[in-house]
Amino acid sequence: MAEDTFEPKIVGFLCNWCSYAGADLAGTSRMRYPQNLRIIRVPCSGRVDPLFVLKAFQDGADGVMVLGCHPGDCHYQQGNYFAQRRYALMHRLLEFTGLEPDRLFVEWVSASEGKKFADVTTAFTDRIRSIGPSPLKRQPAAAPVLAAQEVTQ
Amino acid sequence: MTTMERQIRSAAQQLLANGQVSCVIGYERSPRGNVRPAFVYQAGDVDRLVWDCDCNLDLVTYVHNFKTPPRRGVPVPKVAIVVRPCDARAINLLIYEQQIKRENVQVIGVTCTGTEVRGQQRLACSLCHERVPVVYDVLIESDVEPDLPVAQEEYADIGEMENWTPAQRLEYWTHEFDRCIRCYACRQACPGCYCFECVAEQVDPHWTSIALELPEKHFFHVMRAFHLAGRCVACDACEAACPMDIPLSKLNRKLAKEVEALFGYRTGDDPRTAPPLATFSPDERLRM
Amino acid sequence: MMKVLTQSQLGGWLDGLARNLCLVAPTSSEGKLVYQKVDSSDGIAWGFQRTDMSPKAWLFPATEPIAIIAQGANTGIVDPPPPGRTVLFGVRPCDARGALAIDALFLGRNPTDGQYAAHREATNLVGLTCPQMWDTCFCTVVGGAPNGADGLDILLTQVDDLYAVQVVSEKGAALAADMRGDEQPVALPEPALTRGLPTLRSSEEWKGHFEDVFWQSVGDRCLGCRVCTFVCPACRCFDVRDEVVSRRPGLQAIERLRAWDACTISAYRRIAGGHNPRPTQLARLRNRFYCKFSYYPDDFGPLGCVGCGRCIDACPVGIDILEVITAVEQMSLQA
Repeated sequence: MAEDTFEPKIVGFLCNWCSYAGADLAGTSRMRYPQNLRIIRVPCSGRVDPLFVLKAFQDGADGVMVLGCHPGDCHYQQGNYFAQRRYALMHRLLEFTGLEPDRLFVEWVSASEGKKFADVTTAFTDRIRSIGPSPLKRQPAAAPVLAAQEVTQ
Repeated sequence: MTTMERQIRSAAQQLLANGQVSCVIGYERSPRGNVRPAFVYQAGDVDRLVWDCDCNLDLVTYVHNFKTPPRRGVPVPKVAIVVRPCDARAINLLIYEQQIKRENVQVIGVTCTGTEVRGQQRLACSLCHERVPVVYDVLIESDVEPDLPVAQEEYADIGEMENWTPAQRLEYWTHEFDRCIRCYACRQACPGCYCFECVAEQVDPHWTSIALELPEKHFFHVMRAFHLAGRCVACDACEAACPMDIPLSKLNRKLAKEVEALFGYRTGDDPRTAPPLATFSPDERLRM
Repeated sequence: MMKVLTQSQLGGWLDGLARNLCLVAPTSSEGKLVYQKVDSSDGIAWGFQRTDMSPKAWLFPATEPIAIIAQGANTGIVDPPPPGRTVLFGVRPCDARGALAIDALFLGRNPTDGQYAAHREATNLVGLTCPQMWDTCFCTVVGGAPNGADGLDILLTQVDDLYAVQVVSEKGAALAADMRGDEQPVALPEPALTRGLPTLRSSEEWKGHFEDVFWQSVGDRCLGCRVCTFVCPACRCFDVRDEVVSRRPGLQAIERLRAWDACTISAYRRIAGGHNPRPTQLARLRNRFYCKFSYYPDDFGPLGCVGCGRCIDACPVGIDILEVITAVEQMSLQA
């Protein structure tokens, strides 16, 4: 894949009640946003274990978004408060171990904020496209990659 | 034998002779002359116990071996542990997390003046401002006014690394993690790591592969540091245990710095305050 | 009469090896001595005593795919590609005996381990005599010697500034063919041996001491990490897992990976359902010693320990295998 055609893989953890509904609204309203985003629906942003984020980066994501309900609006009352604390710390830790801070994006998007969803997704994808592939992605193995045709029964 | 050693041995002897504890966990010198953990079960054996600047492994990690009764119907064993100020905080953490009960542990707290590895004072000790443990049943006081080094700014090296570019930090950690052999000595030496099945070994969910390669090592160390966020007591047992001299404490201290700045919290001040990730404040708005 | 090389001749020979194949030698990384690939003899940490990690990883990699199940038009199992020709330089006699110990398992049974056999076939071992036994060394206790040639292809002995070359095997002869050096009469120095070491008791005697109270004192201390096993040149246990997420981006495949593991860790013997035949750290640590000095020699022939002493240096809590050997000797003498 040539550098100038780099299309980032973006993984988004969206909470079912707010941000996922917001993404739905963006879709039904025919708002456009980049196709790079792979959405994983979770019940609550508090469900998003920071290890999901780390694993997403290891397994090929160039950027990761975590979107949840605004503070005070969590369907489960408190989940997003825990998420806020976790991501405040995880983001700083990831940054400290060498990840560009812009690669992780955590934001509150409500069910009615279809436009906000489309806007942040577009801006985030553009940003990741400009900073390039993630350094945490696995590099191709040193041994030659076996093509499927080389496999014998 | 120093005054402190005499006090430690005397305290241990009493606790064992009275039957208050079944075991005293302290430090001893091996036949080769190195300090290592000691488990004293008999009152007559307390002369094995020593205390000096080489005592630098966190003994609180052994408390996890005495959490459950050896047989059904028998009560949980009571133990005594020799602790430094950093270790004592781990005791408060484990009491909060309901791993041990306060009444099952006799804390022999030592007024610590810093410990060394191969003749050099450990980084954790040179940055430590604490000389008296936060919790103890018996306090072993230093009989000599310590020649304390000038207390350095606690997070100076962390702050310096924060000024590097992300690429520089990645290169640094890649270089350091390269030496890692995924032996888990850091995890096993840590009093805060006691999961029955660590995420690094779990098959379901499958967090990371068993490979001893850089992505897995990076995952393990970042994951472990995060699981200790707000729980690490900066005893640096992890760094002392590491056979490859990886500067693991930097990861934990980075988080300790953020935890202190964001939540005004230091691990282990008392056994009733929830660590920051176990609670929240509805009015706070943090940069995530 | 033996071929003798100057430092510069040795360096030149090694440079040639580095150019033509994979040369692996002791290197220093932040003060830790590990065997790594070097581009020239300049990258070698000359003057080393004992490395922190053994060269085992170059015969028995820490992580290795043992099968690749590729998906696509012709789904099937492929063997991973064979290793390239490798020379391990600076192997101590104990480490070479460690390779022989591992051979007994991987090559001594039917079927042999194809990948290990391929690594062994493709690799030459060039040894360096130890001028003395160091602080924690005890190779003589377990049948070795600081100048032993077992398991090596070539053994070099430093005599003042020169290196005397001893060709041990046919592979070694082929490798040494292009060494530039003079034939000279050489008196090989006797390495300085440590005195007062214990005697290793027999496997039968070890079995008789299985329930001794001594094991409690070491078992209590053991943290249950994997340091001792990973630095050991003779330990060879591994875990196998099918890893679904490809470690090779762009290839749709499942890799059956094997990676080093250790019997000291609590999960090692834990089986489905949660039962653990070695539930306590005492049981696990005791097993490690019994495997080395009783079970392994009973089942496979060689001892599972070569006396390198790395575990003694590396253990964070001062568990000392020589202390264990001495304790068992005491138990036998008092019995």
